[in-house]
Amino acid sequence: MAGSRRPALPPINQASCADHIPNYKDLDHLRKFLTAHGQILSRKRTGYCAQCQKALKQGVKRARHLGLLPFVG
Amino acid sequence: MTALYESMFLLDNAVVREGWDKAKAVVTDTLQKHGATVTTIRRWDERKLAYTMRGKNRGTYALCYFSMGNEHIAAMRREFDLNERLLRYLILRADEVPATENELAAAEHASDFTVPPPPPDDMVEPEDGPIGQGDMEPQQEMMVPDLDEEGMDDDRPRTKKPEGKPSTEV
Repeated sequence: MAGSRRPALPPINQASCADHIPNYKDLDHLRKFLTAHGQILSRKRTGYCAQCQKALKQGVKRARHLGLLPFVG
Repeated sequence: MTALYESMFLLDNAVVREGWDKAKAVVTDTLQKHGATVTTIRRWDERKLAYTMRGKNRGTYALCYFSMGNEHIAAMRREFDLNERLLRYLILRADEVPATENELAAAEHASDFTVPPPPPDDMVEPEDGPIGQGDMEPQQEMMVPDLDEEGMDDDRPRTKKPEGKPSTEV
C-alpha cells in the first residue's frame, strides 16, 4: 500500500513567538492552538519555541481550571 | 515577605444578582481578613462556563490584584476552598499591575457604573462551533483502500471460505 502517509500540516505561528507570550486570559489567542476537541497542539504545529509552548500549556491549563476552556470538547 | 499577586475569582451569579458590591465583598472580605492590601478589583466578564460546576452553567469573573505576606496565603486558600459562593479561584504571583488595570478598576467607581444583571443560568446561546482553530484545515481524503474496488482489480486467486460443518444433533 503506497501513499498512505498524510503530509505534515504547516506551523500556525510563522512569526516570532517572543512578541506575544500566551496568557490564560487571552482566550481567542489560546483557541488558535487547540484542536476541535480542545487538545493542545504540538510544538511542531504551533511553531512556538520551547519556552512559549510551556507558557501556552500553562495558560490553557489555567483557563481550563477556571472553566474558560473545556477539558474535552 | 510581601508580594504582589494576581487572582481571578469565579463568582456564583446568584451572589452577583444580589449586587456587585456584595459579590466583591465575598472576595475582598477574605483578602482583608488575612492582611492583604487590595490594589485593584474589577468585573472581568460574565460568561457561559466551558463545563458545569456545582450545577451552574454561567458565572461572573472578577480580576483582582493584591499584595500580602506569603505566609498567609495557605490559610487564605483554605478559606476560599470552603467558600460556597466562589466556584473557582486562581492566585498567581505578579511582577506588576498592568497599566490599563488601574483605569479599568477606577471605572467601576464612577457614579454611572452599573453591572448588568446576569442572564438566567439556562440561557441558550448560539453555538460557538469547534473549540480550537488549530486543525481547521480542510480534511484530506483518507487513503483507505476500498475493498470492493481493490477486489475488482486484484487478480489473485481467492480462497474459498471453508464452509462450516452442519451441526449434527444427536
